[in-house]
Amino acid sequence: MKLHRIGVAILIVILSVTLAGALAELPSVEQRTSTSQLTRRVIDGGLQDTGALNLVSAVLFDYRAFDTLGEATVIFAAVAGVVMLFYQAPLHPSSIGLSMLAKRSLDSIGPFVFLAGMYVVLYGHISPGGGFQGGVILATLTILISIVYGLETERRLLDPTFKTTLESSAALLFMVIAFGGILTGEYFLSNLSAGFPRGEAGSLLSAGSLAPLNAAIGLKVGAGLALIFYSMVKREPE
Amino acid sequence: MALPVAYWVVLILFGMGLYCILTERNLIKIAVGLNIMEAGLLLFLVRMAYSPGDRAPLLGTGVIRMADPIPHALTLTAIVIAASTTALLLSFIIQIHRHYGTVDIDEIRSKMK
Repeated sequence: MKLHRIGVAILIVILSVTLAGALAELPSVEQRTSTSQLTRRVIDGGLQDTGALNLVSAVLFDYRAFDTLGEATVIFAAVAGVVMLFYQAPLHPSSIGLSMLAKRSLDSIGPFVFLAGMYVVLYGHISPGGGFQGGVILATLTILISIVYGLETERRLLDPTFKTTLESSAALLFMVIAFGGILTGEYFLSNLSAGFPRGEAGSLLSAGSLAPLNAAIGLKVGAGLALIFYSMVKREPE
Repeated sequence: MALPVAYWVVLILFGMGLYCILTERNLIKIAVGLNIMEAGLLLFLVRMAYSPGDRAPLLGTGVIRMADPIPHALTLTAIVIAASTTALLLSFIIQIHRHYGTVDIDEIRSKMK
């Protein structure tokens, strides 16, 4: 048993030294950023191509939006898997919530958590943030409610069926926007070239399909993570 | 070797996570090890896109030198995938615990026979 651990440790040290050698061979960042055509194209032409100020969002929802669709599918599959694994008949409340003090505190911070989440989702194309990050903040709110008020209350506020519907319709919304490109004779997930309004850079309604795609992903991630948490903590009757 | 400090941290995290996965018998600890490995990988992606002095890739702020936005977008993808797989992994572990009453892989193996 001990010998096994030592053997593994030696192997990992050998692996790390090899990897360190490989890392040392990588071109330095300055060198790569200034010569890489792709990076220069995104940094210099990003605003022209997408109308978005946040270049990470521009890459995520315009240049590589197809990847994002695949990523959303992975979340969808994970949520489906978790829900299926815990598919059991009626819910048995696994917690009755915390003290009155915690409940009143959540009452006062809850709306602000929601506001922060929606802000991060809706301003994803202008400032740091986006659908994924904002969606996680929104899911945090449901987790807070289930801990502080108990799972039963959370279930009454946000029915699991409602969350499933929300997640599926957000995925559909993404697809509808994506097919908008094809309808106008452009490509799947085309943005500005498909006639989505460019708007004034830096304003809320700008960057064409980026903002609606962000909103769709935000709803989808928020509902999906809330469903995952709900499925994992609920306890079926013994 | 003149590797950036962050790369050494990447190697340490990656090695720690791998060691954890290969030697632990507790399924929860294996899941934690996988997450530590993923943290190392994400740090590598972020550091790869950044050189000291770079600012966030936001236009309209007058920034001239900015970090490469492409690996950052890929990191975002990787974080989401990592979270999804972790959720699925933990769900499987919870079900295994309900079925066998333990999360130790040796005990599970002996109970399977």
